[in-house]
Amino acid sequence: MVTAPTATAQPIPPWRIGVDVGGTFTDMVLRDQTGGLWVFKAPSVPSDPSQGVMAVLQRAAKSLDMALSDLLGNCALFFHGSTVATNTILEKKGATVGLLTTTGFRDSLEVRRGIRENMWDHRAPFPDVIVPRYLRQPVGGRLDKDGDELEALDLGDVDKAMTLFADEGVEAIAVALLNSYGNPKHEDAVAEHMAGHLADHPADSSWVSLSSRIAPIMGEYERTSTAVINAYIAPKVVGYLRNLDSHLRDNGLARPILLLQSNGGAVSVEQVAERPVNLVLSGPAAGVGALGLYSRCAGSDNLIAMEIGGTSCDVTLMGEGEVSVTDELMIDGYHLATPSVDIHTVGAGGGTIAHADDAGLLHVGPQGAGATPGPACYGLGGEQPTVTDAYMVLGRLRPGPYAGGSVTLDDNLARRAIEEKIAKPLGIAVEEAAAGIIRLLEQNLLHAVEHISIQRGHNPQRFTLVAAGGAGPMHGATVARALGCRQAYVPRQAGAFCALGMLHTDIRQDYLAVHFDNLDTVAEEALQMGFAPLEERAGAALAAEGFNGDAAVVHRELDLRYRGQLWSIRVQLPSGAFDPMAVREAFDADHQRQYGHTQPGGTIEITALRVTARGLIETSDPSVTASAYKAPDPTAVRPVYMDSNHGWQDTPIYAGADLQPGFAEDGPMLVEELTTTVFVGPRDRLIVDNSDNFMIEIDGAGD
Amino acid sequence: MNTQDNLDPIVLALVQNRLDHISRQMGWVMTRTARSPIFSQSHDFSCFISDPDGTLVSQADGIPIHTGGGGFAVRALLRDFAGDIDDGDVFILNDPYTAGGNHLPDWVIARPVFVVDQLVAFACNRAHQADIGGGAAGTYNSEAKEIFHEGIRLPVMKLAAKGETRQDIWRLLMINTRTAEALDGDLRAMIGSTKIGADRIAGLVEELGIELYRDYFEGILEHADRSFRRCVSDMADGDYLGEEAIDNDCFEPVDDAIRVRLGVQGDALAVDFTGTAPQVRGFKNSSVANTWSAVYMALASYFDPDLPRNEGTFRCVTITAPEGTIINAKPPAAMTMNTVFVAHEIVHAIWKALNKAVPERSCAGWAKAVHGTTSGRLGEESPFVMYHWNSAPGGGAVDGRDGFNQIGHLIALGGLVLPNVETYEQLYPVLFKRQEFRTDAAGPGAYRGGTGCDFEVEVKVAADYAFRGEGLYNPSCFGAAGGDAGMVGEMELSHSSGERENPPKYAVRHYDALTLRAASPGGGGWGQPKQRDPARVLRDVRDGVVSIEAAESVYGVILDGDGRSVDEDATAILRAG
Repeated sequence: MVTAPTATAQPIPPWRIGVDVGGTFTDMVLRDQTGGLWVFKAPSVPSDPSQGVMAVLQRAAKSLDMALSDLLGNCALFFHGSTVATNTILEKKGATVGLLTTTGFRDSLEVRRGIRENMWDHRAPFPDVIVPRYLRQPVGGRLDKDGDELEALDLGDVDKAMTLFADEGVEAIAVALLNSYGNPKHEDAVAEHMAGHLADHPADSSWVSLSSRIAPIMGEYERTSTAVINAYIAPKVVGYLRNLDSHLRDNGLARPILLLQSNGGAVSVEQVAERPVNLVLSGPAAGVGALGLYSRCAGSDNLIAMEIGGTSCDVTLMGEGEVSVTDELMIDGYHLATPSVDIHTVGAGGGTIAHADDAGLLHVGPQGAGATPGPACYGLGGEQPTVTDAYMVLGRLRPGPYAGGSVTLDDNLARRAIEEKIAKPLGIAVEEAAAGIIRLLEQNLLHAVEHISIQRGHNPQRFTLVAAGGAGPMHGATVARALGCRQAYVPRQAGAFCALGMLHTDIRQDYLAVHFDNLDTVAEEALQMGFAPLEERAGAALAAEGFNGDAAVVHRELDLRYRGQLWSIRVQLPSGAFDPMAVREAFDADHQRQYGHTQPGGTIEITALRVTARGLIETSDPSVTASAYKAPDPTAVRPVYMDSNHGWQDTPIYAGADLQPGFAEDGPMLVEELTTTVFVGPRDRLIVDNSDNFMIEIDGAGD
Repeated sequence: MNTQDNLDPIVLALVQNRLDHISRQMGWVMTRTARSPIFSQSHDFSCFISDPDGTLVSQADGIPIHTGGGGFAVRALLRDFAGDIDDGDVFILNDPYTAGGNHLPDWVIARPVFVVDQLVAFACNRAHQADIGGGAAGTYNSEAKEIFHEGIRLPVMKLAAKGETRQDIWRLLMINTRTAEALDGDLRAMIGSTKIGADRIAGLVEELGIELYRDYFEGILEHADRSFRRCVSDMADGDYLGEEAIDNDCFEPVDDAIRVRLGVQGDALAVDFTGTAPQVRGFKNSSVANTWSAVYMALASYFDPDLPRNEGTFRCVTITAPEGTIINAKPPAAMTMNTVFVAHEIVHAIWKALNKAVPERSCAGWAKAVHGTTSGRLGEESPFVMYHWNSAPGGGAVDGRDGFNQIGHLIALGGLVLPNVETYEQLYPVLFKRQEFRTDAAGPGAYRGGTGCDFEVEVKVAADYAFRGEGLYNPSCFGAAGGDAGMVGEMELSHSSGERENPPKYAVRHYDALTLRAASPGGGGWGQPKQRDPARVLRDVRDGVVSIEAAESVYGVILDGDGRSVDEDATAILRAG
């Protein structure tokens, strides 16, 4: 499965490998020293994801005609995005957790601050609490808001709890004491005291999770919830990753594997072992690396990625070269305060189901048909019409083998499902119904992109839309037009967006300390004292990963807000002497963009100090020069439905491999790639750029 | 008439989605640009779009107690300004008696939308302001006896005319608040949000065509109408009665009630409040807009959560609300509290009636809140108003779900984010002592009510207290399908002198530093307690929220000696007896 026309038959060592374990497929991308790319796929094995990883590596080795030990031995960097943390939560297969909390406050985990995701759906219960109340045990002792001790810690309570936990088969412990974000000493003392009890357990960082270590933020609910989820997944996730790492190294890999974290950066197994909760967004966060790559290819710092798979669409925004990282993440209803890429996900993908309600209105999503039964046209028993069925009816997909032959598409089944469930109830023709499904889906995609851009104060018209994922290239041009963007960018490896993104991912760790002060009056020494321990940890972490000198970049940031506000904005501090006026200007500018106003001369409070540590991975991107180039012939011409204005048109179908840099043709056309199909409407123009990706110029036809 | 026949069903679906998206988008702009945390913390606002006649076509984003009420405001505007509405105008109003408001703190901004000189819609929002003058800081004057004690009254006024803000009106508003900076910022956020909404609506109308767009708006209303008529026609024809007691008028005990009759006939529903108590002295009286919203919210929440919530949904509902009663008071009755109490009572009365009509969907009552506010000053400057939200009560159970143990108001269906103790200790001069589930306070049932909580906080400075403890001392919820009500709420103040007192339900007082203790009431249970899954009873006992004695006497469950498993045989015998 060699896909890149720039690649020679054999990769030139050393190379990088990225493996992304998805729900259905495990994707692997190999990038050699010259920038040549090879993409491989193997079925995922949900019960033991490492089997899927080994299978795709075996498949690659075989296809490249080399031994596994050569494939791994010549690999300089091995990146891994894994759903193991996510799936442990989704499948409720984590450890039995005991929680130690301050006496009088053991219920915040279960109260969940009362947050109802959909208040109208009041019959829906909250997700099951991870630690039942009888395993949430009180510990006497109290710190005040400044971290000063009001009441001494009662270690006798810890002893009592440990006895109970032993009786109850507790496998991991979380400790979350009130106000410990400001002073970890009580939590540290609890951990030290517990060490005596833990003689039976091998020294293992997965055993105890301290909230002040895992997520030292203010706010006991979110901090507790994060520490608890960490404890819940740690034994399983850390065990899995250590096994995989040692297995790969036994097979020739020289350097420890790098894992994709929720913050979009990579980290080694040993460094993440204390905080596996940081891996929850492991797969999708790799989109950050992909955006970095495509921003260089497309020559734009402002990108919005729309990665559309079978059931959902992940939207990520890069503004001026930065993808924002927040402390808020929700997974299956559980709140986490871990550094996480800001991704907006909606239920809109190729398998999304369309239905007409009892009162005669058409809806598309958010439910999906999943891998089984899947769309009706898969012939696996699915009867609900999906977006993929609409593609079939409109001629955008052809009947026959699909997705590397794993399914066979049947257009009669697609047609029947849409006719029965949509066209007849609404009294319209089946093609109209199919076109309507696509229109509604594209409207949902448009709304999702508007959500992440407008809500955060960005004008989407200034962005290039990157359409990725298996289903993204089918909709990129339409959504870009509706947004008012001039271009849609379609990566040739659209279906391996995240695996490819991993190869372009820097090492990254984030550190935070809550710190209250006034921006105008804060002493520089106080800031220095606050930042020093964070920077020390950051530097040590980078050095341990092998990054020093220019390749180790450490930034300071402040969380700032006007007095009286509840939310803060992160502002990066320039290196050199601390200049509060410059910081104020930067804060005001960002506040203006995000909130539409500033408070000239308003008091600005510091609420936290942050340090981000990056180990820079070399990113030379290959590019080819377009040569004099004769457009290839289409492989077929068939009628395809465009839109309500243009109806059906005879449309040339191109094989993706035939299209090389320099290709430029007006739509309409379809380009069939291995992992995706690109749709180009009659008003648009498709160009293959110098980095061998597709650029669709909106309304560019005839130029 | 059925407009739908002439419409493209695909376009209709696109228009519905687009309108809902626009009203949500107005909400994002509100939360992102507002100054005071009340918008984002308690989401105490709604954004809505009406047609040119003032009929709500979309209200996708908003607090449930605002459901369907915005039309009254737009129709008051049309009544007062017919023939004098121009592009670039921005209207403001709040008065519940003359301007279609619900209560004074909720201000409405309404912006007419024009396409080729034709009025095509209104883009609006309604939002709770931080302070509007009146007898107490923070909009709630627990001792108000007339609306004049509650803050500034605004008839429908032009805040901007043809794009020019009227500075005289703006100054009038700013001198009638204790927090001008917050009001200034929040009003700008509201106005900015309607501008974005209006631009988007105009774009949609242009896309649909000025001749056709009304048909699509009407198509949306008709779809909603059909959706809810299906719910109504599933009920057997007949009259269903509901009644919720009122035990105080904010000053002293009374013994009265909200009485409602739901008359179902085919797919039409009559909601008749004849027999409801006269208006009261205190500030719990309801306006027409608030009562209609409470009825709509009670109905919509009982059926499908995905029901549209535009005015089409309620076309089959007729409401009779006798004037001079607590649910349709005459001026100058005070009414700021009405969006919580008496709205909660209205929802309870209607749910009780619905429980008779559709038992399989029955809902137990949610306990009423006991919290008020503490306000004072931090040092020389910084006035603060702290809501004791952490003492939230227990919610009611439904088939398949226990009540929420500690949850926001029923009228928001829990749509309130409770504060973290750590955040409050940073913001206010307080030290929390305790915030834990109560034992044996949950209303028993096959699904039990929420537990309520034991709450204790030390307030370190002298401060004003506005008490609004509707859920104190008497039962404030009910069981359904054989379940029971939860325990009552309690409150106690411990003064530094060692003296203790139980505060009244409603009052405004000033105290030195003290410790406030509250036990918030438990929610109502659903179904027979003796049919509760013994495994759930075991878990409750192990969790300490049901005592071993109550497990036996109330739930008929006997545990083994170590308290870690159910004694199946003994339980079977006890339950059979």
